[in-house]
Amino acid sequence: MTGLAVDITAKRFASAHVLGEFRFTLEPGERVAVLGDSGIGKSTLLAMIVGYDSDFEGRITRPAGRAAMVFQTPRLLPWRTLAENIAVTPGAGTRARARELLAEVGLGAAAEQYPETVSLGMQRRAALVRALAISPSLILLDEPLVSLDPETLTSVRDLMVQILDRTLATCVMATHDRREALAVADRLIELGGRPARITSDRPTGLARAERGDPRAIDAALARLFPSP
Amino acid sequence: MKPAVTASRRAAIQAGSLAGLVALWWAAATAAQSPALPGPVAVWAAFLEQVATDGYFGHLAATLARVAAAFLLAMVIGSALGIFLGSRRLADHLFGGWLVFLLNLPALVVIILCYIWFGLTEVAAIAAVSINKIPNVTATLREGARALSRDLDEMAWVYTYSTTRRIRHVILPQMASYFAVAARNGMALVWKIVLVVEFLGRPNGVGFQLHTYFQLFDVATILAYAIGFIIVVLAIEHLLFEPWERYATRWRR
Repeated sequence: MTGLAVDITAKRFASAHVLGEFRFTLEPGERVAVLGDSGIGKSTLLAMIVGYDSDFEGRITRPAGRAAMVFQTPRLLPWRTLAENIAVTPGAGTRARARELLAEVGLGAAAEQYPETVSLGMQRRAALVRALAISPSLILLDEPLVSLDPETLTSVRDLMVQILDRTLATCVMATHDRREALAVADRLIELGGRPARITSDRPTGLARAERGDPRAIDAALARLFPSP
Repeated sequence: MKPAVTASRRAAIQAGSLAGLVALWWAAATAAQSPALPGPVAVWAAFLEQVATDGYFGHLAATLARVAAAFLLAMVIGSALGIFLGSRRLADHLFGGWLVFLLNLPALVVIILCYIWFGLTEVAAIAAVSINKIPNVTATLREGARALSRDLDEMAWVYTYSTTRRIRHVILPQMASYFAVAARNGMALVWKIVLVVEFLGRPNGVGFQLHTYFQLFDVATILAYAIGFIIVVLAIEHLLFEPWERYATRWRR
């Protein structure tokens, strides 16, 4: 049984060659962070992994079971309340269960509010609950923490890790933030160049229990990315 | 949502302004002293006369039934075509030109052709009104379909929404404001064209009555039908369309 196997030869948009040769595999439950600058093709890679974008050369094997994705923007349906947003998702269960899950992450009072009437942090948490609700075997996270203030960021990140722990899902997170990557991932894949290729693929060396500790993150940062 | 105080004040201003219009009309009619410009009292008398002797409400109902039929037909067909054109680029390139042609085809030409081709029948009348309206609905809904969010489409794909679920929860709510615009402009257009269709070739309805009393130069009766019609149209607007629009946009901040 594999978690995820990615074997891409090339990905082009019209004439632009976005991704070059690209190969990695994940064990079930393994969490990898894909690091790279904005615009390098991380979102494209996630869309290919989840299957939405099938126009590329190569082959991607996903684990059996459902896939969930948390996008750069929360992508909730603005005309459905938070609980409805979760309940209309296939496999997420009833509205009552949606309310319970929202209550667990502190959104009990906001469950019947429309997304645009609550804060971005709350919308992101609801989007994470949606991912959790379908009990996925694969979770893709696309810059799930951008444009959050530091305090909200910590709480959303903790929730994210909690959800990964609960679902035991295989996870690919795209981010440009090394700290964020170290707080979540077992392994770092760095992208560079044009077309983008894997420039490094290495374990973070941090145990899951250590990742909530800012000092451990600092030490790992210094070890993995020594300043020249 | 605006506070209720502002809304009631606005209603009061509108009512006052309408009363002013009636007063102006009454003053002009009094000054003119001509059967070509009857005052409110004469029109009211003509209205009562019509109700008593010539089936005023029957004619109004006949017209409204045609409005409803033509409106529904145009909304269904026009929406389907618009969504199709807006979501298929090739179809849009192929048929976009037809749409421009139909949009600029004069209403009267469509009516005359329908009557010539299908005879002076109810089907021809309703078809003529619908055909006049369909291109507008199509153009509006095409814009809506073009503006559909790719982000939400991807979300629905990732979370394996079925087609019916996608239409109900993702697509239709995005189209709601376009439906509202199409419906509103549609009513305005349909009820005007229905009168022309009746004027030219139907044995009942408000348009037919206008034709009859135009030949008799009975301006008071003509105004009685016109005002009755305006009241019905406004009632539909306020009691049907506005509440629905409020419901469809309740989620907005």
